Amino acid sequence: MHKNLARTLALAISVGTLASAAPAMAQTKTLTISWWGFNGEKLESLVLAPFREQCGCEIVFETGNNGERLNKIQIRNGGGVDVAYFSDSFSQQGIELGLFQQIDQSKLPNLANIYEMAKDPQDGFGPAYTIGRVGIVYDSEAVTTPVTSWNDLWREDFKSSLSLPGITTTAGPMVVLKAGLYKGTDAFDDDTAAFEALSELKPNVVKNYNTGSEMINLFSTGEITASIAQDFTLAQIQAAKPSVVWADLEEGSIATLNTVNIPVGAAEPELAYEFINFILSDEIQQKLAEEGVDAPVNTNVKLTPEQASIWTYGADVIGSLERIHYGKMNAAKGGWVDRWNENFGM
Amino acid sequence: MKRFAGWTLASPATLLILLGLVAPVAATIYATFGTPGGPFATYQAFFSSGFRRTVLMRTITISLAVTVIALAVGFITAFVVSRAPGWLKSVLIIAAVFPLLTGVVVRSFAWLIILGKNGIVNSTLMNLGIISEPFQMLYTQGSVIVAMVYLFVPLMILTLVGVLEGIPDDLIQASSSLGAKPFATFMQVIFPLAVPGLIVGAVLVFTGSFTSYATPQLLGGEQVMVMGTLMHQQAMVTFDWVSASTIAAIMVVITIAIVLAMTKIARKLNPMAV
Repeated sequence: MHKNLARTLALAISVGTLASAAPAMAQTKTLTISWWGFNGEKLESLVLAPFREQCGCEIVFETGNNGERLNKIQIRNGGGVDVAYFSDSFSQQGIELGLFQQIDQSKLPNLANIYEMAKDPQDGFGPAYTIGRVGIVYDSEAVTTPVTSWNDLWREDFKSSLSLPGITTTAGPMVVLKAGLYKGTDAFDDDTAAFEALSELKPNVVKNYNTGSEMINLFSTGEITASIAQDFTLAQIQAAKPSVVWADLEEGSIATLNTVNIPVGAAEPELAYEFINFILSDEIQQKLAEEGVDAPVNTNVKLTPEQASIWTYGADVIGSLERIHYGKMNAAKGGWVDRWNENFGM
Repeated sequence: MKRFAGWTLASPATLLILLGLVAPVAATIYATFGTPGGPFATYQAFFSSGFRRTVLMRTITISLAVTVIALAVGFITAFVVSRAPGWLKSVLIIAAVFPLLTGVVVRSFAWLIILGKNGIVNSTLMNLGIISEPFQMLYTQGSVIVAMVYLFVPLMILTLVGVLEGIPDDLIQASSSLGAKPFATFMQVIFPLAVPGLIVGAVLVFTGSFTSYATPQLLGGEQVMVMGTLMHQQAMVTFDWVSASTIAAIMVVITIAIVLAMTKIARKLNPMAV
C-alpha cells in the first residue's frame, strides 16, 4: 500500500513536471512593434528576418500614422506594444501623456556609436534611429529665382503654387514658427504676428497636404511648384518630377528625429531593448542607409556621395540643423490648430 | 400568444441591432454630456466657434447641393433607363453601376486628373483659346461637390429606376389621351408616383455626402474642411475625443432632422406614397 502510494506520487510529480514544462518549451516570445508600415518589404529582409534569427522570437505589428497609433497606445494605457516608432513631435506627446518608460542606456551598448543629438533627444526616453530635415523643395524649371530663405515662401511669384504641410502633420506647426520669424517674432511668445503672416501666405497656398504622397501628387500633376517637405520624400518627388530640388536655406533646415520608445505596458521590455540595440548597430544602420530606407545616426556608417545625397548625413550637416522644442510646441499646438483652421479653412 | 411568439422570434435580431448598432452611437453621444463644464459645455464650445459653425454650414450646403444635383441628374437618367427597351436597359444600368465597382478613393482621384491645372478641362479650354491661364478648380467647394455628385448619382439612379419601372405605361398613355401635355403628365402622374424613390434616394445621397471623409479630404483638404474631416482631426491629431464625439452627435441629430423633414415633404407631395 505504502509502495503503491509512493509510485502514484512519483507518477503524479513526473506528469505534473512534464505538463508544466511542455508549454514553456512550446512558448515563443513575441515582440510587438508599432510603426508606419512604409518600406515593409525592405524592413522585413534587412531588419526583421535577421532579428528573428537572433532572438528566436515572433514579431507582430501595429501599423498606421503617428496619430492613429499613439491614440491606440493611449486607449490601452501604454500597453499592447513593446517598441513604438514615432516622429519626435508625437513621441514627445506620448511622453507627456505618460505612455513611455524611461530608458536604461546601459542596455543599449550601440548608443556609444550614434550622434549626440540622437542618443537622448527627449531627456531619458527612447533614442532616435534616424535623423531627417524639414526644408523647402521647389521645381527648378518653374521657379526662376532660387529659394534661399524660409521668407521666400511669401514671394509673389509663388501665388497659387505652394503647398504647406497640414497643421496635423509633423512639419505643420513648424510653419507657424517660421511665419513668426517672418514677422520678426517667436511664435511661442506671440503667435498673433505668426498668424498674420500665415494669412498673408494664404493666397500662395493651393492645398495643405497631410501625407507625403499627397504632396508628391501635387508636384507631379503640376498643381504646385514649391512645398515645405521632409527630406525622406525627396527621392520620390524627384522620381515623379526630376527638376525638383532641395533648397539651400540660409537659416538652415529643421531637424526631425524619429525615435523608438518602449511603452509603459510593454509585455517584453527586454526583447524591446534587444531590438532597439539591434537597429542602432553598425551593420543594420549601414544597410538601411544604402538601401534607401532611413538616414543613419550611427557615426561608423560610411556612404558614397551618391548614397549620401538623399540623406541628412555627416556630422557637419547634422550639426547645422535647428532643433525644435517639442514640449513648448505641443503645449501651443492645441490653440494653433484652431487658428490654423480658421486661417486656411474659412 | 401570437404577439408573444412574434416578440420572442424578433428579440435576438433586436438585441443584436441594439448592441451592435445603436449602443456604440449612444455611448459616443453619452460621453459628450459628462464633461466638467456641464452637460452641454462641449456643444456650447462648438457653436461658439465661428470656424466650427462655418464647417457645419459648409457641410450642410455641400450635402444639399449634391443631393439636389444628384436628384435632377439621377431622375432624368433613371427615367430614360426605365423606358428603354430590354437590352439597352441592361447596358445602361451596367454603365450606371460601373463606377461603383471601383473604390471611393480611386473615383475621387479621377477628378484630380480631370480638374487639375494640367487636367482635361483646363487643357481643352486653353487649347480652344477660351482661357489663357488654367483655372484653379481643385481644392475648392465646387470640386468637392462635383466629385460627390459623381459618387452618388449611380446610387440615385438605381433607387429611381425600380420606382419608375413600376409606373404603368397605361397611366401615362391615359394621361395623354385625356389631353394632358407631357409636362402636365410628368408633374401630375410621373413625379408624384416617383416620390418614394426620390425620398429614399435623397436620404441616401444626403447622409452619404454629409458623413463623407475621403472625397472632401482629397479634393478639399483643410481648405474645404467638412464635419467628417474636422472630426478626424479632433480625434486623431489633438486627441480630443470629446470634441470628436460632439461633432458625431451633431451629425447624427442633423441627419435625423433632415430625414424627418424629407419624409414630411414627401407626405405633402404624395400622401399615398409614404
